[in-house]
Amino acid sequence: MKLGRLFVKRPINIIITVNLLLFSLLYLFHGVADYSVPLAGGLLTLIMVICYYIILKLSMGDQYIFLIISLLSSIGIAMLYRLNPEYGFRQITWYGLGMVFYFLSYGIFLWIKGWDRYLYLYIIAGIGLFLFTFFFGTTIKGATNWIRIGQSTLQPAEAIKILYIFFIAAYFKYPEKLKKPYVFLGIIYIHILFLVLQRDMGMAMLFFGVFISIFYAYNTEVRLFLINILASIMIGFLSYFAMGHIQVRIETWLNPWRDIAGKGYQITQSLFAIASGGFFGTGLGLGRPDYIPEVHTDFIFSAICEEFGIFGGIAVILLYFILVYRCFKITLNIKETFKKIVALGITLTYAYQTFIIIGGVIKLIPLTGITLPFISYGGSSLVSAFIAFGIMQALSRISIDGEGLDVIE
Amino acid sequence: MYQILSWTIRYIFIVLIYYFIYSIIRLIYLDIQAINNKGKRNDNPYLKLVNRKDRLDFHVQEFYDLNDSTTLGRGKGNDIQIDDKYISSKHLKITLDEGEYFLEDLGSVNGTYLNSTVIEDVVKLRNGDRIGLGQIEFLFVKEVD
Repeated sequence: MKLGRLFVKRPINIIITVNLLLFSLLYLFHGVADYSVPLAGGLLTLIMVICYYIILKLSMGDQYIFLIISLLSSIGIAMLYRLNPEYGFRQITWYGLGMVFYFLSYGIFLWIKGWDRYLYLYIIAGIGLFLFTFFFGTTIKGATNWIRIGQSTLQPAEAIKILYIFFIAAYFKYPEKLKKPYVFLGIIYIHILFLVLQRDMGMAMLFFGVFISIFYAYNTEVRLFLINILASIMIGFLSYFAMGHIQVRIETWLNPWRDIAGKGYQITQSLFAIASGGFFGTGLGLGRPDYIPEVHTDFIFSAICEEFGIFGGIAVILLYFILVYRCFKITLNIKETFKKIVALGITLTYAYQTFIIIGGVIKLIPLTGITLPFISYGGSSLVSAFIAFGIMQALSRISIDGEGLDVIE
Repeated sequence: MYQILSWTIRYIFIVLIYYFIYSIIRLIYLDIQAINNKGKRNDNPYLKLVNRKDRLDFHVQEFYDLNDSTTLGRGKGNDIQIDDKYISSKHLKITLDEGEYFLEDLGSVNGTYLNSTVIEDVVKLRNGDRIGLGQIEFLFVKEVD
């Protein structure tokens, strides 16, 4: 009973236990001679505990955000270690770097005042990065959205995501800066157009979704909103007929079984994997998620469903739910327009991103390649997610301060 | 051997992860309750918790309204019941008399503190006074217009 009470009091203990279980299992899975797995697991747990206590001791606002993203990252890293220890190791490195950026973005966001004044900077930086990718980008897996620096590649769209939120927020704080709303809409559609040209449909959908939701909340003209909805439907239809790869995506969504060995291979393998998991899954290391192409990035959710069953999958979705709930609650407490929209933008970005990719792999909506936040393999997406939630952490502190609660330690 | 271990651990893992979700949702639920109480509050003076609620292992609200006579303790008969083991079953009483609020200790074991000093007798409460008892501390708020 005492132990149980301690557990309820400190969710961090549950994370430690989960890490302990998963990594000792992985240690057995990869052979007893290899000590790198338990070491990596220990290191990961240590980083989490230290960061958690830093957040508590410095009373950096909301503590649940960090707990939830820690558990999500733990599941992700354990799953990557199971798929390929090399990916897992690199992901831990990215995780460590991400944590540094988490605290940095927290500090910088609070330190610099007047983020709402740099509207033009956000536009120029965003579009500049797009142009840079357009001219110097490398094509990986059909999308020209990567920049190669030495050995590693990174995705500028992940950085643009944050600049884009700041741009929208800065615009709605001082709409008169851009004279007419059409100028604002033009810049938004330039962002989306670049993503379409890069053939990054998931990101294009995400950018549009975030824009239209914030526009719905803050725009006063109903007519302009309806025009946007109509325009997006038109663009959707046009691009369906104009671009071959979108047609393929829709076809494999409607009937992947027709071309099961070719175009529909990925999605059908994903469905087989989820189905073979059943309620409780096959157990870690006992399924065959390696049949699915790209299982470590876009399709990691199917691998989780296969090895931990549908209950494990639902648990992951629930974790995202409570994360988004916390973020919405922080958003509602903020009074100032700019900060409120930044908080809303970050919340919506990660909520939609999760929906787009989980919906894609379970064949609820057409599949578009995008990473599952905090779980998928990928340095850029993990680090940018940590930067975004570092800002969220700063905003949560502002929202608590705004309520005038004086906290005694 | 590995199979059996993996099968067992998947159940433990799933149970733990739902337990984690439960514990977070429980804390969120306490949060929502605090918001509701905040919304309902009228002009009456009230007690406001200054501790971090999530550090405490018993249920306590963020705000408590004060009536003409309010008793606080661990026992069931009190107006405000707090299940802290360092709080006596009848711990203290706050009474209204001619527009002023008075704090009185009802012979508690661990005592009642007003602004960090133990109270001996009935004392008058002013806006912003801190009332400490057991593991918790309240702020007495009386809005003056």
